[in-house]
Amino acid sequence: MEAALKALAGPRRRQILTLVRDGELSAGEIAAHFDVTRPAVSQHLTVLKEAGLVDERRNGTRRLYRARPEGLAELKDFLEEFWEERLDALKREAEREEKTRGNDD
Amino acid sequence: METTTETAVEREVEIAAKPETVWQFLVDPEKVARWFGSRAWLDPRPGGQYRVDVIAGHIANGEFIELDPPRRLVHTFGWEPEGGQENPVPPGSSTIEIELEPSGDGTLLRFRHYGLPNAESARGHAHGWDHYLQRLVVAGRGDDPGEDRGPEGM
Repeated sequence: MEAALKALAGPRRRQILTLVRDGELSAGEIAAHFDVTRPAVSQHLTVLKEAGLVDERRNGTRRLYRARPEGLAELKDFLEEFWEERLDALKREAEREEKTRGNDD
Repeated sequence: METTTETAVEREVEIAAKPETVWQFLVDPEKVARWFGSRAWLDPRPGGQYRVDVIAGHIANGEFIELDPPRRLVHTFGWEPEGGQENPVPPGSSTIEIELEPSGDGTLLRFRHYGLPNAESARGHAHGWDHYLQRLVVAGRGDDPGEDRGPEGM
């Protein structure tokens, strides 16, 4: 999940993801939308792919990319987990404090 | 358009401590730092500052909205710019609501973090989609690996 968050932290990668959210595009088609080199776009696509945020499909010699909605659902799960951990920590600390107070009485 | 377009993270936790004790862990900077970050700057009154250094460089920022000790707390929540880069989700862009209810000798804590649009609703408009992504990144930022996995490791 860390990979997905890092991938999304880049504004260019968010733009790419927005481009391929409704349909498949090749790296060249994606590059045409931006003022960047094709290798740079390929690099971004690799990061997004490894983070589980886009799917890659081969069609003959072309590689087509499309956003992977499940990747985002996983992020939601991640957020749930983040808060679960924090609130568990809150519970532990508050209970420890309560005990300490009890001993002081 | 409607509130159902928002995703909320909701949790309930039973805590073996009185609501008054738990409340202190929501508004006292030293105690908030013990479970949520390394340092906190809090001015617990409506309109007052809510700021926590969650993990080095990841600073949560919002504003207290409602305080009804020791029952109910509402504050906004977002993330500050990092490394000179403006964060797409400004401080205060989502909301956290916490309710404390006496339960036996302890407290039932209800937690709700909302203001995060979901993927389905965002799909219709490119704008919403990007908005959603940014919010997720920002809300998720709190978790960096290897550090601050809970108070035991501190």
